[in-house]
Amino acid sequence: MNHKSIHKDLIFYIDNELSLEKRIAVEKHLEDCEDCRSFLAFLQEGLMIIEKEKNPTVSPFFYTRLSARLEKPEHQGQSQWVGLAQSAFFSFLLILGIYGGLRLGNNASSLKLYQPATSSILMLNDFEAEPIESFLLDKL
Amino acid sequence: MDEYQLINGIQQGDRKSYQILVETYQRMVVNTCLGIVHNREDAEDLAQDVFLEIFRTADNFRGDSKISTWLYRIATNRSLNLIRNNKRKRFFQTIEETFTGGRNRASEISENRSDQPDQNITDEQRSALLHRALDRLPAKQRTAFTLNKYEELSYLQIAEIMEISLASVESQIYRAKKNLQQLLLECYKKKCV
Repeated sequence: MNHKSIHKDLIFYIDNELSLEKRIAVEKHLEDCEDCRSFLAFLQEGLMIIEKEKNPTVSPFFYTRLSARLEKPEHQGQSQWVGLAQSAFFSFLLILGIYGGLRLGNNASSLKLYQPATSSILMLNDFEAEPIESFLLDKL
Repeated sequence: MDEYQLINGIQQGDRKSYQILVETYQRMVVNTCLGIVHNREDAEDLAQDVFLEIFRTADNFRGDSKISTWLYRIATNRSLNLIRNNKRKRFFQTIEETFTGGRNRASEISENRSDQPDQNITDEQRSALLHRALDRLPAKQRTAFTLNKYEELSYLQIAEIMEISLASVESQIYRAKKNLQQLLLECYKKKCV
């Protein structure tokens, strides 16, 4: 067994969920491999956190606080409407943004298309209006 | 008083029955919420919401399953909803901080840690690392793993709570362990603790 396959099985080794054959192979590898032993310890310490933090002592005033909340009227309906209004507002802003972007994009592309075409037409028209022969003859 | 008498009492508005139910199951509900949200105050607030929901919807309880199954179901759903809402809030906070140039709270916390003794740093960091790894698990894997590890429930009980098959529970927990191990291995290799 190599490091990679051992590293894949260590969490199941800790939970005692490996077959006997695999368990023996893992234990044999662990005897010789310091790196795997070190990762096993790291994993065990990490999972031990669950044992430390589970089953917390609940506040002695838990029921008192709960009773106080029971006396208060329910505001759920109102908060639902606020949530819906917020979603609708942000959706509207998003659609407005996309629409504005598209409009701006269209204007920008139409400018680019027309500008060079107009200038080239003007230049051609210049030559048509005043051919080079008549220009030179006029100079003479 | 058995649990069906308790529910009958609550359905009729009897506060004494409600108090007995709360005191019987409060540790279980807080522990389940804590396994998902990893914060004591949030877990207690969520547990209060769970019991409020129980009181307000007691009429809907038909008695097809145990009260604990019903409580676990509400507790896990509410905890996952809180995490979803927190993620959304953090997303908007990040956007706000980008525009206002606000400081990241996480960096402030890590700066403050330098004043604490070494042993605490290690324990705190180890705990934060495990929570980070658990938070990265998909919702179903996280729920199944939490119920199994924090509440020590059998796969059969988890299947009933999550309303999925036994094979699905086995698969979710197997994948949760694999993913968790992978995330911890990455951290181990980078020597992040």
